[in-house]
Formats: sequence, C-alpha cells, structure tokens
Amino acid sequence: MPEVKTRDFPAASAVSILDPQMRMALQRAGSGFDGARRECIDEVTPEVWEEWREQAREVKLHTLDHLDYYLEILEERVSANGGQVHFAADAAEANAIVADLVRTRGVRVATKSKSMVSEELNLNHMLESIGVDVYETDLGEYIIQLAEETPFHLVAPALHKSKEEVARLFTEKLGVPPMDDINALAAAAREALRQRFLEADLGISGANFLVAETGTLVIITNEGNGRLCTSAPRIHVGITGMEKVIPSVQDLAVFLRLLPRSATGQRITSYVSMVSGPRMQDDEDGPEEFHLIVVDNGRSRMLADPDLREALMCIRCGACLNICPVYQKVGGHAYGWVYPGPIGSIVSPMLVGLDEAPDLPQASSLCGACREACPIKIDIPRMLLHLRHKLAEEPDTGSPAKGTMPRPIANGFANVMANPGLLSATRKLARAAQTMFLASPISPLAHGGRGIRKAALPLLSKWTHSRDLPELAPRTFGEIWKQELSNPDEGP
Amino acid sequence: MAGTMGTSKSEFLASVRRALGRQAGPPQPEYPRLAQGVDHLEEQAREVRERVRAKQGALLDKLAEVAQLRGWQVRRTPDPEEAIDYVQSLASGLGTDRVVRSSQEVFETVPVDATLTGMGIIVTEVAHSEGRSRESLRERVAMSGMGITGVDYAIAETGSAVIVPRKGLGRLVSLVPPVHVALVRPEDVIESLDDLFLLRRLEYMRNGGDKGPYLNFITGPSRTADIEQTIVVGVHGPKEVHMLLLG
Repeated sequence: MPEVKTRDFPAASAVSILDPQMRMALQRAGSGFDGARRECIDEVTPEVWEEWREQAREVKLHTLDHLDYYLEILEERVSANGGQVHFAADAAEANAIVADLVRTRGVRVATKSKSMVSEELNLNHMLESIGVDVYETDLGEYIIQLAEETPFHLVAPALHKSKEEVARLFTEKLGVPPMDDINALAAAAREALRQRFLEADLGISGANFLVAETGTLVIITNEGNGRLCTSAPRIHVGITGMEKVIPSVQDLAVFLRLLPRSATGQRITSYVSMVSGPRMQDDEDGPEEFHLIVVDNGRSRMLADPDLREALMCIRCGACLNICPVYQKVGGHAYGWVYPGPIGSIVSPMLVGLDEAPDLPQASSLCGACREACPIKIDIPRMLLHLRHKLAEEPDTGSPAKGTMPRPIANGFANVMANPGLLSATRKLARAAQTMFLASPISPLAHGGRGIRKAALPLLSKWTHSRDLPELAPRTFGEIWKQELSNPDEGP
Repeated sequence: MAGTMGTSKSEFLASVRRALGRQAGPPQPEYPRLAQGVDHLEEQAREVRERVRAKQGALLDKLAEVAQLRGWQVRRTPDPEEAIDYVQSLASGLGTDRVVRSSQEVFETVPVDATLTGMGIIVTEVAHSEGRSRESLRERVAMSGMGITGVDYAIAETGSAVIVPRKGLGRLVSLVPPVHVALVRPEDVIESLDDLFLLRRLEYMRNGGDKGPYLNFITGPSRTADIEQTIVVGVHGPKEVHMLLLG
C-alpha cells in the first residue's frame, strides 16, 4: 500500500488551505464539473434523474446483498470466454499475482490506464521494483507519475497542476523544449507514450463495472489510452475491487447515463470499452491473454458492517468532491491516501483502519450536499456520523478527534440544552454580556459593531480561531412567538 | 497457468459470505432480469426491431443531431457516389498517402478503394492473411492518416458508433490513425442504450457466449481536460471523427 498519511489530515489541510494556486484550481474544477453536472440534470429533467438514481441504487444494493453469487457467475463466465479470474484478499496478494504474471510471461514494459485500485496497491512501485518499465497513460495520471505524486481528484488526478508546472515537469523529465500551450503539452505526452503503447507487453486497466452474466469488464474513458491498453499489448490485466459487479449488461445502461454526467457533465464519454476475454482465433488484433484480478483489500469489512455497506456502491464519479465545502478548501492531498473527499473519508478509514484515520470522519460539515449530488444516493453524512460514533465509543484509540470540545464544556452544554428554564436564563445572561461587550469600544469582541468576530473566548479559542461566533438575536423565536404570533387576533 | 498466487475462489467467496452473514451456497436471488429466458428476450428484441424500423427517419435525424453535438462531423447522404466523394475530399484535404479500412459489408455499397488508389493513396484492407503478420498490419495502421470502418450499431440516444472488432475489423483501425471515418447504414441505427444491451444480451444467450470478446462505443474525438480543465482533442485516439450517414 502507498504510504498512509491519513493521520496528518489536520496539519496537511492547515497547509494546503493557504495555497492560492490550489484554491484557484479547486474553484475552477469544482464549479466547472458541478455546473456541467447540473446542466445535465436539467436537460434530462430532475424527475428522470431521480428515477435513474433509484434504479441504479437498487441494482447496486441487490448486487452487494448477493455479491458471492455474482462473483461466482463472473468467474465462470470470464473463464468460459477464455480469460482467467484471480482473487486477491489484500494488496500483497494482488501484487504477487501481477508479479507472477510478469515473471512467467517475461514482461518488460507495461502501459496502464487509470485505476484507483492500482493506487491502493501501489502497483507501479511493485512493478518498478521487479524491473518492469510501467507507464501511466491517462494524461493526468502520467503527469502525476512524472511528478511522483498521488491523484488529487478521483476523476481529474492532476487538476492542481498549472500548465506552467506541467511544462516544467515535461522539460525536466521528457527533455522537451519549454512550452506554454496546453495543446502542445498534450501532444508531447501523446508523442512520448505512442511508442510505449506499441512496445508494451502488458496492458493494465481498472474497471468501472464488471458484468457478471457475460463476464465483461467495462471501462469508461475519453482519451483513447484505455482502448490502447486493452488492445495493443499481448496481455491485458484488469484490476478492480470486488464491489464493481453488476448482474447483466442490461443493468449497465443506467450507469452509463449516470456516471459521465455526474463526473464531468458529459452525456457520454468518448469511449466505452467492454472486454469479455482474450482475442479470438480469427481476430485481427487484441491481447492473447486476459486476466481479471478481483481485490478485497478491506472491502469485506465494509460489506460486513450494515451501516457502512452502502459505501461500496460508490462508482467513483467524484461528484461529492466537487460540491464538498471541505474538499473544495483543503484539496485532495490533505486526505493522506488514495481516496479523497466525502466518500474517501469513509472508504479510506475502512480500508486503512479507523485508528489510522480518526480525523477523516470529522472532515465534513454534514451539510448533506454530497448525498444530494451522489448519483447512487449514498448517504455519506449518515456514515460519517456512524464513524464518529464509533470513534467516540472507543476511548482508547488515542484519537485527536476526541477532545476537540473539552468534556466539562460538552457536559455543561448538554445540561443547559436539556433544561428549558436554564437555557432561557443562560440566554438572557449571554445577551446582557453581548450588549455590554458590543458597546465597549475596546472590546476584542466588537467588530464594526456588527457581530462577534474572531473572539478569543476563553476555552473556546480553538473553535473561534477560524470561525466567527454568530451574534445572538435580540429576541428568540420563542419570545417572538409569545409576544406577537400566538395571538390569533393580531395574526402574523 | 498462473493461479497459485492469491486466494482460491472458494476461500474468497467464503469470506464474502461470512461478511454477508450467510451460510455456504449462494441462494439464487430473485432478480427478474436473470430469470428471463431467451424466448422472452426474443420477443422484446422483435419489438425493438419493429419500433426502430417504424421510426427510422426520426432516429436518423436524432442520430445526426446528437452525434454532431458530441463532436462527430456528420455528413448525411443516401447516395454512395456522394459518400465516396466525401471520403475522397477528406483524404485529399489531409494530404495523406496511406489509408486503412476494415473488411465489412458496407464497402460493397460504398466502394472507396478505386477512387483512393486513383489519387495515389495506398489502401490497406484489414484482414490478416498468409504472408502478412499481425505485426505488419499494426505497422500499416500506425502509418495511416485515416481509418475507415463500418459500425455494428449506431445509437441515436448517445450519438455513438458501436464497433465489435472481429476478423476483418481490427481494434486499432478506428483508434490509431488521426482521422476516423465511420460509415453508418440506416439499418445500423437503434434508439437507445437499452436497445443495444437487450440485443447484445440476446446474442450472448443465443450463442452461449459473446460473438466478439471486445466492444467499443465511440462518441466523438479522443479528448482530455486533464490540464487546467481545458479541452484538448486527439490525445491518444483520433482528433477528427466523421460520421457518414448513408440515409
């Protein structure tokens, strides 16, 4: 597995939040992707969109509930088509399967199309360690590989890089002259990779879906690198998580409608490729061997927890990243592992261990925008809360997440809230204090006389450091109700 | 064969079953789709074909409109001569001296070879034969400025050409040359993704397996927005795609 830095979330986000270029990139990508997504929903009508979401959700729920059954069919059908399915319980096993194929087939050069699961396995590192030249071929992934970084976003891995940074990287690593045109940069990557495609022995891909009934791997791409990786080399290895299965090709239609629209706001991607096995005897081209590696790597832990099983329905569209107020501020790298954003805050802790990622479930305002944007209607906030409960119930995890609100304050707050008389009295007291502070010209709480900002309140300074304390209204709703609204004669 | 690495199928499935809280032996889930027999699908497929035939004109219009929106350069003509002229003008505009094409029925209707050869262009037909290896075919494809293919289906809903590579129809012909021309006959056009997957599933069940192990949707040119969200066409696939709609 790649180095797990999920514990560093607080520190890493405190740094990344100050990066102006990243902010600009996040804003451009966030509003671009999400705006295009919304246009698509308007185009098909929100009613139809909702039907699609329900339909997709039902397929996923059903498949997960019978995952053993569908995995069994998948294996039978891939074998019947002349391919081979391998099962890997963890990253080490998956890497060992690939290493064995490399050794027994004499693989020297591999090309790879985008696969988040291969990031989970740190597959490139393993391949390099056994002497294989491995090339990422998706432009974003290629940039990331040259820069020796991890993906910043599920769909747009290099969105944080400016074209100037990419140009410097290409000049340094590919020896091309400096260029500032994006078309020229893409052409340079095409040029550098074209030869690799033709010399590669092994093509590696992920899978967006696996169709059990026909034993088919489905990948959804735009650049054409996925088609080349699955067509040109003599061996194709697909690597993916076990949750990607759906029952039949007829179930695929709704996902092809939802995924591109949710991811980039495209009605459909340039390419959808469906691989059911190696080339047939008479075919003009295509791989001689097809291997499919189905990976668990912690997924059965999610499957076993009825409260978290839903997270396995994710189709990795990235829509929840683009609307998340936290992701949009801290960016993808702060999350410290492969999967960023709201869904990553569930998936990462479940795959690397909750103890390793105690802050990720806190990395959410629970505003619900992710649930709203999710094409599968995954209830992300509910699961984040569930993980917070788990953390709170385990006093010995040493979690820095606990103790952000000291116990006496939390207890006091609970007492006040549970007692209407006490609440009313507290409010009156606070209001009096507020009036006094606001009137004082030297008060640290006064800010243009309009609110209580950056208040260094004792005990609450951690909370108020990066937040404004809202001003108390002159009257509560209860008081307004009592004084004006409860009298039917006067009316509201 | 490899297979000694990793976890055995039975062990892996057992651990999934444990996670699901189930006993060994998967129950047949009551999933309506999987319970449908071939007869039922045949019936539905008949309905699809009738519907598609009945509204063919409207579907051709829709395909032309949607395909254009998705980045195809669409040219409609029922006249084979005009179609050949279009290919000729494309080739001369590109100034390419090599074209590769598939071996499909549609070239009997639109025989492009003579015209292109007359322009001094070397036309390679994809069909490996004695004396020509797969490697040499690949080299010829890589040298070609244009690839021409028919399609197995064209989907009006998405503006996609669907190609099932097989003998005479290599995977790389529509992918490696910088320009791809897809010849679409009216009878190739279907209405929706649902139509496509119904027909494919029926074929699979009828044959007891896939006719081709590979299938590709092509919808517009190859593209990326991986640098600063700026769209660039022609990354690893064609930067220019033409749909020649023969009806």
